[in-house]
Amino acid sequence: MKLLAALLSMLAASAAAAPARVASLNLCSDELALRLAAPGQLVSVSRLGADPDESLLADRARGLSVNRGRVTDVVALAPDLVLTSGGDPNAAATARRLGIKTLELQEPHTLDDVRTNVRRVALALGRVAAGEAVVAKIDAATSVTPAHVVPALLVGGGGLTIAPDGLAAHWLVHAGLIQQSVPRGAISLERLLSNPPQVIVFSRYRPGQVSTNQGWLSHPALAALPANVRRIETDGRAWTCLGPLLAGEITRLRHVMAQ
Amino acid sequence: MTARRLSLLLALALVPLTLASLLWDPAMLQSVAARDPGLARTILLELRLPRTGLALLIGASLGLGGAAMQGLLRNPLASPDVLGPSTGASLGAVIAGYFLGGGTLAVAAGGISGALLALALLLALAGPAATTATLVLAGVAISALGGALVNLALSLAPSPYALYDVMFWLLGSLADRSLPQLAVAAPIIIIAGGVLLAQRHSLDSLALGEDVATSLGVQVPRLRWTIVVATGVMVGAGVAVAGGIGFIGLIVPHLVRPLVGNRPGAALVPSALGGAALLLAADLAVRVPVNGQELKLGVLTALIGAPFFLWLVVRGR
Repeated sequence: MKLLAALLSMLAASAAAAPARVASLNLCSDELALRLAAPGQLVSVSRLGADPDESLLADRARGLSVNRGRVTDVVALAPDLVLTSGGDPNAAATARRLGIKTLELQEPHTLDDVRTNVRRVALALGRVAAGEAVVAKIDAATSVTPAHVVPALLVGGGGLTIAPDGLAAHWLVHAGLIQQSVPRGAISLERLLSNPPQVIVFSRYRPGQVSTNQGWLSHPALAALPANVRRIETDGRAWTCLGPLLAGEITRLRHVMAQ
Repeated sequence: MTARRLSLLLALALVPLTLASLLWDPAMLQSVAARDPGLARTILLELRLPRTGLALLIGASLGLGGAAMQGLLRNPLASPDVLGPSTGASLGAVIAGYFLGGGTLAVAAGGISGALLALALLLALAGPAATTATLVLAGVAISALGGALVNLALSLAPSPYALYDVMFWLLGSLADRSLPQLAVAAPIIIIAGGVLLAQRHSLDSLALGEDVATSLGVQVPRLRWTIVVATGVMVGAGVAVAGGIGFIGLIVPHLVRPLVGNRPGAALVPSALGGAALLLAADLAVRVPVNGQELKLGVLTALIGAPFFLWLVVRGR
């Protein structure tokens, strides 16, 4: 009986501790907050998180106040928790000085870091069950590594690619694709054409906009890639934070590869 | 040496440079051709040809533009990259591309407008026959303003790649250009270049002073406008597809002019050929990795050009 009372009071305490007004200051903390927060719990996201060109979750941010990544933008909303991930290095310290509880997320380098970030945000929001559900999705997407893996390149505009030992490549392995090493992190069209990998994953990001880098992805010479080179498209927005949004994208890529 | 003989020599030098640019890394080309002849043809036609063609045309336009401006302003420091039209063109191209959402043609139009605006501003600030100091000061101010505005525009641009593009617009590159880009730039540069070349006799007369030139039948105001507009159009079209490439317009006419008896008109053709050769050689050099990194085209031309600029200053003291 005593034990039950103690448990109940702990539960009550944790419920009371759950923040009611959460503000997220950066795109990558927006992604976690938009996935995990209870309805009405999140009051503000960064302008990138609310921008459909940058964030796949922008529709969930509709109606929320939009900040520019600074504590001063959200102080008037009286948040009781501020989430940051990179951006202004002083934001977390400023928020603490103003007496606002702050959670600073670290940039993930491994899939375990991604899970840790999900769990930290879930705990801080008092949404442990929602956090475990997202972690379960990450586990489901990454528990499988296809038996047949092939050399691949994930390239974005300007031939920019990803490091073969980085987190993006760790995700990509679970779609059956092994990112090749490219000197200097960018590949020229000539190199790509003369020595193509088995699979090229084109990462398109804000495709409608003009820039020299985006023009690269539609260079006419790319049409000459040999027929046995598979060309796959991916949404560049999923790859910005390398967070739980990739679980769905990796599963999709794995199915595309299995076809 | 006569201008004709110099031109012939420079044209001969262009042959091996052009071949080297087209057939760079022959072992790779051969292995690709053995595996997939169609792919090798694509690499040659759609990657090597535009790159080489643009290097020839833009190099020629910079050399020619520099020689014409130096002749017109009777000033050894006049050139598109020192006096502002190059950065003006970068700014115009960036605005057209990022904010008006244009294609290759619109970016070229933006580049041309930017270059013309910068030149108009220069002439308004410095006057037609300003002293070297006024002209260079005005040019430096316009270049600095243009560079700052390019940075500002790219910081405000709604594209995640915009900041990567700063380097391209300020330092230039000929890597991964396409045939449509060559098709847009080539006719503009060729026509404007032809207009400039047609002024060579008038420029020679102008070297004797405006009064003498007028008495020789040269319409000086018309000559001035023709040269300014043709140079702006040419430089703008080049910058729109290859970014801002510095110093070629400054160096080449200086190397050429003493060889042709210091006649500005006679220096035009050899300057165009020399500019083409220099840019082609620079673009070959940037394909050789240094310490595992490839240099930017504008860095290389600045490495050659800036010491030359210093030498001009020292010699002029």
